Amino acid sequence: MKTMVKIIPFQHWTLACLFCLALQATVWAHAFLDRSDPQVGSSITNPPSEVKIWFTQELEPAFSSIVVQDAQGKEVDKKDLHLDAKNKSLLEISLPPLSAGTYTVIWHVVSVDTHRTQGRFKFTIK
Amino acid sequence: MKFAALKDGGGWLAASGAVLTAMGLGTTTVRAHGFVGDRFFPPTIQTDDPFAVDELALPTVSTIINPGSPATRETDIGVSFSKEILPKFAISLSETYVNLAPEGMPSVGGFDNLSLNAKYQLWENVPHEAIFSVGSDWDVGGTGAKKIGATSANVFTPTVYYGKGFGDLPDALTYARPFALTGTLGVEFPTSADPNTVDWGFALEYNLPYLQSEVKDIGLPGPFNKMIPVVEFAFSTPFNRGGGPTTGTINPGILYENNYFQIGAEAIIPANSATGGRVGAVFQIQIYIDDIWPKTFGHPLFGE
Repeated sequence: MKTMVKIIPFQHWTLACLFCLALQATVWAHAFLDRSDPQVGSSITNPPSEVKIWFTQELEPAFSSIVVQDAQGKEVDKKDLHLDAKNKSLLEISLPPLSAGTYTVIWHVVSVDTHRTQGRFKFTIK
Repeated sequence: MKFAALKDGGGWLAASGAVLTAMGLGTTTVRAHGFVGDRFFPPTIQTDDPFAVDELALPTVSTIINPGSPATRETDIGVSFSKEILPKFAISLSETYVNLAPEGMPSVGGFDNLSLNAKYQLWENVPHEAIFSVGSDWDVGGTGAKKIGATSANVFTPTVYYGKGFGDLPDALTYARPFALTGTLGVEFPTSADPNTVDWGFALEYNLPYLQSEVKDIGLPGPFNKMIPVVEFAFSTPFNRGGGPTTGTINPGILYENNYFQIGAEAIIPANSATGGRVGAVFQIQIYIDDIWPKTFGHPLFGE
């Protein structure tokens, strides 16, 4: 019981600090992949006309990139990367008609607060 | 393709980049906590991670019953702050309030010795998600309360730290790729007649966010898609001056990742009778200060 008497004020103080931090932290953080189309690791039958990646934060497009490569490592995208007009956390890049095979999507992004993140995933066209 | 601004029709992107540059943000991006390439290594609770970055653990609360006659419940409340001073070189300060409650006796409480740590990220390999760091702890003697056992001796613990993600495994082992391992190996050198001790430990984790974003989207709903199950092993082995047997704990738990903080909870399971016989618990909030204040944290004080 003596321990609890000491712990409770400390917890209150900690929660107060976290609350204040949360109030200030409404728009900043690393941008992580939230979901994508085609889905990460998916096998699909219809070749997609574009790759879309939804991120967890708004992005700074001037310092962001997406590359789509075939199994030989050759870039196959149309090099027209752009942010969605209504959603600043959605990056899109167009694709030409693709044949069956496995493709790798490589992304590097900078969120609006200048945090860098990167990742890659594959999808397969049957 | 490197940057979207270089693309056809990317004029507005280039313009926004110019504006960003004019704001002083153009080429200086925030160095993230715990990343090697695609891999995010979460800060672990019982074993220090290999990253020399800005971190704040507030609080870390643990409780366990230590063996003895009488057995004593130890409850610790700690805080740890780490700041990158030079690129890949960080200094941290840690302090813990300790409450000792022997069964059937009044409890005593007080601060343990202040602990300082210096760490340098010596080597990274991005394609193989590997990192190796060196550093040392310094438990500053005489800064804690003697009534809770804080000694007047200094203890220096040179330590190596390592981390390895398994994202480079072949496709045949797809579902093993979210695994990662971090660990430490250090030797305590006290400035007293106490024994030298090897401190060793490691953490094995399965990164569900990595599974979802790098390997295969299996449709995990929240909050599970932000969880990292982990098992930590933390041991101490005295090797001279009659130091006694190896003691240690096995700590299975869950780390939950938010954009601004991590919440972690683990059981503390004594690995042998010399460590204890009853299960304890630890809880920690790790605040990602470089996400909350990216202009203040996430950069070294000197250099880039």
